[in-house]
Amino acid sequence: MILKQHSARVIIANQWDRFGLPFLLAVLIAVFAGLSESFRTVYNLISNLQFAAMIGIGAIGMAFCIMSGDFDISVGSMSALVGVLGASLVPRFGGVVGVLVTILLATALGFLNGVFVTKLKIPAFITTLGMMYIYRSAAYIYTTNTPVYIKDPFWLFLGNGVVLGVPFAIILMVFCFAVGIYLLRKTPFGRYVVAVGTNKTAARLSGINVDGIKLAVFTMVGLFVGIASVVTAANLGSVNPGMTGQGYEFQLITAVVLGGTALSGGNGNLLGAFFAAMIVTYLKNGLGMKQVNSYWQFVAFGLVLIFAVGVNRLKFTLLGMRET
Amino acid sequence: MIKFLKLYERFGIFLFILVGFVFLSLASPNFLKMDTLLNIIAQGTYAAVVGFGMTLAITSGGFDLSVESVMALASVFLAVFIPRIGIPLAIVIALAAASFVGLLNGLIIAKLKVNPLITTLAMQTIVKGVALLVTGGKMIVIKQKQFMELGTGKTFGIPNQIYIMVLFFIIFYIILYHTSFGRQVSGVGSNETATRISGVNVDLVKIGVYILIAFTAGLTSVIRTSQALIGMPSMAAGFVLVAITVTILGGTSLTGGRGNLWGTLLAALFISMVYYGLNLINLQIFYQMLAVGLVLLIALFIEGLRVRYLQAAKAKGIRV
Repeated sequence: MILKQHSARVIIANQWDRFGLPFLLAVLIAVFAGLSESFRTVYNLISNLQFAAMIGIGAIGMAFCIMSGDFDISVGSMSALVGVLGASLVPRFGGVVGVLVTILLATALGFLNGVFVTKLKIPAFITTLGMMYIYRSAAYIYTTNTPVYIKDPFWLFLGNGVVLGVPFAIILMVFCFAVGIYLLRKTPFGRYVVAVGTNKTAARLSGINVDGIKLAVFTMVGLFVGIASVVTAANLGSVNPGMTGQGYEFQLITAVVLGGTALSGGNGNLLGAFFAAMIVTYLKNGLGMKQVNSYWQFVAFGLVLIFAVGVNRLKFTLLGMRET
Repeated sequence: MIKFLKLYERFGIFLFILVGFVFLSLASPNFLKMDTLLNIIAQGTYAAVVGFGMTLAITSGGFDLSVESVMALASVFLAVFIPRIGIPLAIVIALAAASFVGLLNGLIIAKLKVNPLITTLAMQTIVKGVALLVTGGKMIVIKQKQFMELGTGKTFGIPNQIYIMVLFFIIFYIILYHTSFGRQVSGVGSNETATRISGVNVDLVKIGVYILIAFTAGLTSVIRTSQALIGMPSMAAGFVLVAITVTILGGTSLTGGRGNLWGTLLAALFISMVYYGLNLINLQIFYQMLAVGLVLLIALFIEGLRVRYLQAAKAKGIRV
């Protein structure tokens, strides 16, 4: 009897991982499509996927970070800083250089975060909190608080282009997720990240270079934030030192947690993060289309994060694991 | 090295203040006047009072990111309620609303066992949304001029804020060092399981801590709102950075269990001096954020050294 119950619980929890989020996404789209005429246009559904790329691509790095047991909350400001720097280079050096600099710079800043986190031995969220304000103010100071516009066709293509009828941003996002899932499931690196997140001491004792893994993870966060920044900047046509990336850390953490990654680290689900990123994007878009006061959206997203943590907790309880 | 770090823990912040003091008195002829000094101390009130709350939270091993939203909420409540029910009751309501957010934080963290970072991050967004909803995103001007007395008035030639700061310092000093609650807070921060086993109601302690920090945020908001006479739903953006910086710069250990209220107070004054210095050279407001961020990194660097040497000492079996 006990065994049967146990297996039923495990089955429910596992099925939630597999079908819960796609189901939630389908319900969400159905509800909004029923409520709003403009929501159900094909154009809206597809252009939304482009916006999902911003959260989706960024969520990959954040997922690795949370799996390894840390948080990076500097991502929003990082996105603004590398965006304005990269975009400001375009008139002089061209779009390709601008895009490359944006991505490389973000990677470098991620590496810098990693150095601080591993060398200082201080909880990452406090270190990255400091970096968050440093990056943001650097973006302000660099631009004297004026937006930088992007007119370069190559850069704009990365966010708005269409290849064989599919928006390029979506192709890029799927590609990034494929890389992420490959790294997580098929390489030693992925195993090491999970090991570090599950039990740092045990990981160290079994010969894993914990600091090296953490450094790599934070660099990855930077890399994916860089790619996401390029896409977003192209989508919006400009980078604003104050507005770009506001609340980005919040959206990424929500996507990752809603996607089923344990807050305490160790347990990761990238496919879940993919669906969760779409849920967050469609929720935002749907609420906007229904003309819900944008201030309610703050409340709604805060509640979504708490809901996500609750669902995770339930799932891990069913699986007999403890989440803290 | 350990000796140095122990010395730093006790006196390091004085060094910062001293350097700032010498530097500013050389840089500005106006600095060494009574009014300027009092003004700098008064400006330190905001960081200090919320810093006291943050010191308590970090001592308990927790953290609160929602303080700036709580300040915004209290500010708009003041603006909405002062014309309707008068100043004293409106202040009571604003403080109650702030404390209620703290209660929610505490309940989620203690009872649902959700990570404090995630809880307060979510709460920050929710409360900001509520504050914006209350005013429809607009600022509300408060017409009752006598409310201004609280934040800008002077008693016996000393700005009112300084009295509030001193009062709160004494209250928190007693709470943290001379009550069983304070010892329980330290206990929860240094070893939660041991504290629970020894019969302390850990959940209640945590809830108390988050109510107290939200209360300090509410009170700070009352002073700031009274100075500006505006209810601002966007008040205090980035203030959480300041609150955390003064706490860590003051020498409160991030590993929990050891709060340093004196340090927090002095660090708040130091940050206030930094602001004064930046104003002298006419730098934009963004440089304030940059400066505080850099100060936080320096403080973290020293804290990191401390943690590392403590671990090394422990490994060698030296008692520290």
